[in-house]
Amino acid sequence: MKRVLSVLVALCAWLSLAPAAQALTVVATTPDLAAISKAVGREHVKVTALALHTQDPHFVDPRPHLALDLARADLLLVTGADLEVGWLATLQVGSRNGAIQPGAPGFLDCSSLVELLERPSGKVDRAQGDVHPAGNPHYMLDPRAVERVAVGIAKRMATLDPRQKNAYLENARAFLAELRKAREVWEKRLASARGAEIVTYHKSLGYLSDWLGLKVVETIEPRPGIPPNPRHVAHVVGVAREHKVRVILQESWYPTTTSRLIAKKVGATLVQMPGMPNFPAGQSYVAFMSEIVKRLDDAL
Amino acid sequence: MRIRNAPSRFHALQLFLALVCGVNVAWAQPNADMPPAAAREPASEPRNPDHQEIEAALAADEKTAAEAGATPAPQKPAPAGGGSLNPDLSFIADFAAAYFSDDEHLQTGAHDPSETGFNLQQLELAVGSSVDPYFRFDANLVFALSGVEIEEAYGTTLNLPLGLQARAGQFLTRFGRLNSTHPHAWNFVDQPFALGRIFGGEGNRGLGIEVSWLTPLPWYVEVVVSSTRADGEGTMRSFFGADDLGVESFDDLLYVTAIKQFFPLSEDLSFLFGVSGAFGPNASGRDNRTDVYGTDLYLKYKPITTASFNVVSLQSEWFYRRRQLPGELLHDVSGYAEVFWRFAQRWGTAARYEYGSPALDSSGAVFVGDPLDSEWTESRHRISSNLTFWPSEFSRLRLQGSRDMPGFRSGIWAAFLALELVTGAHGAHAF
Repeated sequence: MKRVLSVLVALCAWLSLAPAAQALTVVATTPDLAAISKAVGREHVKVTALALHTQDPHFVDPRPHLALDLARADLLLVTGADLEVGWLATLQVGSRNGAIQPGAPGFLDCSSLVELLERPSGKVDRAQGDVHPAGNPHYMLDPRAVERVAVGIAKRMATLDPRQKNAYLENARAFLAELRKAREVWEKRLASARGAEIVTYHKSLGYLSDWLGLKVVETIEPRPGIPPNPRHVAHVVGVAREHKVRVILQESWYPTTTSRLIAKKVGATLVQMPGMPNFPAGQSYVAFMSEIVKRLDDAL
Repeated sequence: MRIRNAPSRFHALQLFLALVCGVNVAWAQPNADMPPAAAREPASEPRNPDHQEIEAALAADEKTAAEAGATPAPQKPAPAGGGSLNPDLSFIADFAAAYFSDDEHLQTGAHDPSETGFNLQQLELAVGSSVDPYFRFDANLVFALSGVEIEEAYGTTLNLPLGLQARAGQFLTRFGRLNSTHPHAWNFVDQPFALGRIFGGEGNRGLGIEVSWLTPLPWYVEVVVSSTRADGEGTMRSFFGADDLGVESFDDLLYVTAIKQFFPLSEDLSFLFGVSGAFGPNASGRDNRTDVYGTDLYLKYKPITTASFNVVSLQSEWFYRRRQLPGELLHDVSGYAEVFWRFAQRWGTAARYEYGSPALDSSGAVFVGDPLDSEWTESRHRISSNLTFWPSEFSRLRLQGSRDMPGFRSGIWAAFLALELVTGAHGAHAF
């Protein structure tokens, strides 16, 4: 028994002292940040996303094994603005990794890199629903904001791993160039859709609409996080008819029954877009946005 | 001879492993340019003329991005939490309207509804904040109509090496699954009677220190060891409780150990399994001891690969307790199993079965005259079920009914309608 124990302890000691791989270990809370950091770090980084691309990033279960990823991380990227407030802190403290705690160089709150929309002015109150006091955290759907995020991530990687500084900055440049080229194509493709009025499920598509010039006239949730009730649905139907809404746009993780009903009543198309890139399958941010643009273009 | 040989072989093995580890350390040292080491000293930048050029180009890119109508970088990033250095505060209130078919009911939880009519179960103030880069501080103060109680107040280390973490202060020990949690994390309005029977209405808690280790094994294995005072409200039922016999040696403290393992069976299915032990002195006489062994499991199905609000979970904990009394060794078994099903965004339902055996003496016969539960001479069973409605993530209404069937007296019906309100900072949930 004692011998088995000693072997186990020695094995653990060996595992913990074994030299870490050369690559910078990056953990992103969401797949979109993971995709950007992979584009910026390429072969010099090992990237994991805590949330799955099909999962609502507000409600991730802090499954304990995710703390293992954080325990081994050199850099933690978070969307911030309270998107992960309901689950990240448990994992972060549980990881026992001082390098990725708030304030450490290995912690980057990407919301500090962009200007947030819908920052509430005046008193914030939960009677307004599950509001984010720091502003709307869904900025990753605006490729213009993503440029800033990519540069910020590259700079932080360069600080943590100065040997590869050139590679990170060069990759960020290449990513920006690719993204800009793609954005031109997307903007051209959806130019005719500018000014189109749409309905969304959650208040999460403000940045996407801001970029594409779409106008969100109503959300199916009466307030963020509160499921629709019949009176509100009737209201949405009224508003959608009045504005001749042709598209109801929502991320794949939201329920579709009510949305289908409204779409049918007002003669609109329900467009289910991926909310996050399929990072485990290697989907890039550009491919992910192309998919959204394609689905919108088909419907509008 | 063989027996004598064994220890030296054992030492040789240890020496060999130590050498391997040592070589490892030595091998890691010259590799100081690897990222983690570099991360600690970010100052050493390579002198490469290219990077200035690239940086200038990037800066120009950023500028054109801004000109092209991209959202400008904020001049001053907005500080989180509204720029205040106040700790995160949240208030959690639990009220219940209750009915008991018998006023002499057998509820054991300190925050259970306790009488027919309206009950304030608790008003909990949870405070949490980073102290500095090394510590985090958490406290749970509970206000009842009778006064204020410091349920928990402890510091947690944030970056001890080798996967270690320490907590110091007053805390709920991590025995099993429910003991370390507060009522707002429970599926039921009341505490399983096993916890009340073994540890008391407040669960097992005390002043002390805890060290936990997240092992570097490929799957999640956490080892927890704590030492806390053996007296006080959180030790009422098995240890010193109100009869503090004082600390004369290390044997007069309460020790809790636990090993927790987690297995992500798939993206949608999780399995948590733990074994725990609590060892300490009891109040029946100097050097008399109580050992509690426990096992807990939690199986949770929450589909995240498709859009769904469904959650199905199975949770069960069992306790085996041995108590030394003057001239006697008693043992008993208690536990519960519950299933929970969230079938819509706002609706969930749950059912629970509980069991408690009478205390048996060393010959296996029911012991008569147990100083803790003199009445408890037969098996006790209780079944409960409830229906939960969440108006939002921050409030819930629960209707619960239960039938208590203690073999040693007549059965008791109970019904609760409970309202829970959570305000303030959005706390992070544990798994």
